[in-house]
Amino acid sequence: MNREALIQIVKQPVQWIEDRTGVIAFSTPLLSHHVPRSAKWWYVFGSATLMFFTIQIVTGVCLGTMYAPSASNAWESLRYIDEEIPLGWMLRALHGWSSSAMVVMMAIHMLQVFMHGSFKFPRELNWITGVFLLLTVLALAFTGQVMRWDQDAYWGLGIGAAIVDRVPVFGDQMRALMLGGPIIGGETLNRFFALHVFILPGAAIGLVGVHMALIMKNGISEMPKPGEIVVPSTYRKGFEERMEKSGVPFFPDAAQRDMVFCGVCLILLVFLAAYYGPFGPGGMPDPTLINTNPRPDYPFMWIFGAVSLLPPASETAIMLISPVVGIVILVAVPFLSNSGERAPSRRPGMMLLAVFVVMAIVALTWEGVTSPWSPVMDGWSALPTPTQFVKGRTPLQMQGAVVFQYAQCRNCHELGGFGGKRGPALDEIATRMSPDQIVRQVQQGGGNMPAFGKNLNSAQMTAIVGFLSTLRPENEADSSIPGAQLPLPIKSPLVVNSPFTGTGVPAEISAGVSSR
Amino acid sequence: MKLRMSRFLSCLSILAFLGCDRMPGKPQEATPIVIGSPAWTQSTFNTNCRGCHSQGAEGAAIPLIDAGYWKVATDAQVIQVLEQGQGVLMPSYLDSNGGPLSSDQIAAFVKGMRTLWGDGSSGGQGGISGTVVAGNASAGSQVFASACASCHAAGGSAGSVTDPMYLKLISNQGLWSAVVYGRAALGSPAWNQPMPKHPNGLTPTEVADVVCWIAQSRPMSSANAQVNSIPKDKNVSDSK
Repeated sequence: MNREALIQIVKQPVQWIEDRTGVIAFSTPLLSHHVPRSAKWWYVFGSATLMFFTIQIVTGVCLGTMYAPSASNAWESLRYIDEEIPLGWMLRALHGWSSSAMVVMMAIHMLQVFMHGSFKFPRELNWITGVFLLLTVLALAFTGQVMRWDQDAYWGLGIGAAIVDRVPVFGDQMRALMLGGPIIGGETLNRFFALHVFILPGAAIGLVGVHMALIMKNGISEMPKPGEIVVPSTYRKGFEERMEKSGVPFFPDAAQRDMVFCGVCLILLVFLAAYYGPFGPGGMPDPTLINTNPRPDYPFMWIFGAVSLLPPASETAIMLISPVVGIVILVAVPFLSNSGERAPSRRPGMMLLAVFVVMAIVALTWEGVTSPWSPVMDGWSALPTPTQFVKGRTPLQMQGAVVFQYAQCRNCHELGGFGGKRGPALDEIATRMSPDQIVRQVQQGGGNMPAFGKNLNSAQMTAIVGFLSTLRPENEADSSIPGAQLPLPIKSPLVVNSPFTGTGVPAEISAGVSSR
Repeated sequence: MKLRMSRFLSCLSILAFLGCDRMPGKPQEATPIVIGSPAWTQSTFNTNCRGCHSQGAEGAAIPLIDAGYWKVATDAQVIQVLEQGQGVLMPSYLDSNGGPLSSDQIAAFVKGMRTLWGDGSSGGQGGISGTVVAGNASAGSQVFASACASCHAAGGSAGSVTDPMYLKLISNQGLWSAVVYGRAALGSPAWNQPMPKHPNGLTPTEVADVVCWIAQSRPMSSANAQVNSIPKDKNVSDSK
């Protein structure tokens, strides 16, 4: 068989397909269309986002063949994928890390577009479809977290339902729609599964298509230069002329940079997945386990931080109004300014805004990660009183240390660096509060601390205050804050001798307080 | 040459991929928990007991990670304390009392602790009982004066043990254990170690007597009572 015949054999079916579909005629301009010569490394982030999205679809479909979307089997099926399926854990790790990478890459892409003013005329709709893509991807991330069906998922849903429940008038119906009933149950998982594998990916694919079509229609923006002003009436003509004259074909000139960057991202992704493994599943989704510290995934950590830091009175208003306002502002960006300068140096206010938003998100994420908002539920029975706080104490003070554990103070207060962080660390409490002040605080609570007056009898109160009054560095004075009330005169002959206070602390403090 | 290189690289990447199941990210298979195993005992201890009963100088209650304790205390005594609680501040750990452990688990736990820290002893040794023995208060007064008062009298350097507030919080068994086991790491001697005027420590009878005498200073209303419910003391509860 000669060479000519061989080519014919290959060519014929290709021609047949081309004749019926026009796929080559369709895709050639996609690859060869001209892009600005100045479009260099700043322009790779969108492509990387698309690559991660493709990985999500491939790994997601594979996981879909093994995941059991039922409340009683979901958690177990993840364990099965992790432990029994060869490299199943790797699949989950890739899906999880790629989802985080996609959110990050998307944020960088968006930030770049914002800072370069690329959303201005004629690319307003590129920006708006991008905003909806962002929302879709965040929804995918949230519903994906629910798929793990562990404690984080359970409590994440609980918080979501509580927020939805606060919507005026329709709160009940919306919560029922979200959960598929009054409580988190099997129906809840099923509808989040439908969202995660059918509805949201479908929406995302459609939006990506529109986003790409708009890129083809409007072209890729040039690198902004100070003084090169966007004037809607003349922009298109000038842009097309410049592309004709100095543009380079997308493939291979621009695409090669995309490929290098995507390659690096892919290597990093595989490394992260192989080294750090899959996300979760955490503990079983059992609402009776109180010793849990549920956290949302990273894309939502800043919201978790913000919501937790809100003053209680403003919670409902801010939680319900701010997302709407935020989305409206994002969508409105290209309409608020769709012409004029694009260069960052000529838009200092916008740059400050971008820096502020990034810093706020980073700071709130940090708050969310390190937050002390859950007590250490087994602190009282698991964290020993450090040596320096039991050494040289009297029998009564030692009993006070036991009462301190017994009353579960440790769940919220640190000693020696261990314990809850809801309340202040008490290592140096005696330098800040006099015994009387400690009695008042323990009895009546206040400042987010419950009152223990009804839970401790006089002996327990005396002991615990005796113990707390010894908690200060050896070389620092007792609390003698100006204006602080001094301990009342000793009414009983009982003096608890503290090796640190020298003069002794009156033991019968409770009598003194009640007479005030 | 170039072709060879790429073949070599692809072979290498296939090999690397085959090795993937041994990567550090692979989740560890959960090991089943064996009740009574050393790991289970240690983790049960760490979660439930360590807050008060840790080892050496840490913690405010009697250290359980201590061979001296397991030499004297018998399994039955420890099980009794775990199931019923002790005095004011030691809660019951039995599930029927609201605790986390069944009676089988408590038995296995005590056995496990003895294996971990007990030096092979089965308890009931060391020449003294682990639980309170009735004594003679007037004889105890003498023992206290000669053996304890130099540090533990009212206003003494180590703090009073006859303070009613202290006695309201500690049971007779607690007093007994404090005298018998001491806190070596904090400088408090055990019963058979040298004390002022008692170079060879106390005798079991003297221990019983002195505990009996100290317990007499406890206010009658709260004598050895479980006072961990709502307090009777008007001064505290009525803070207004």
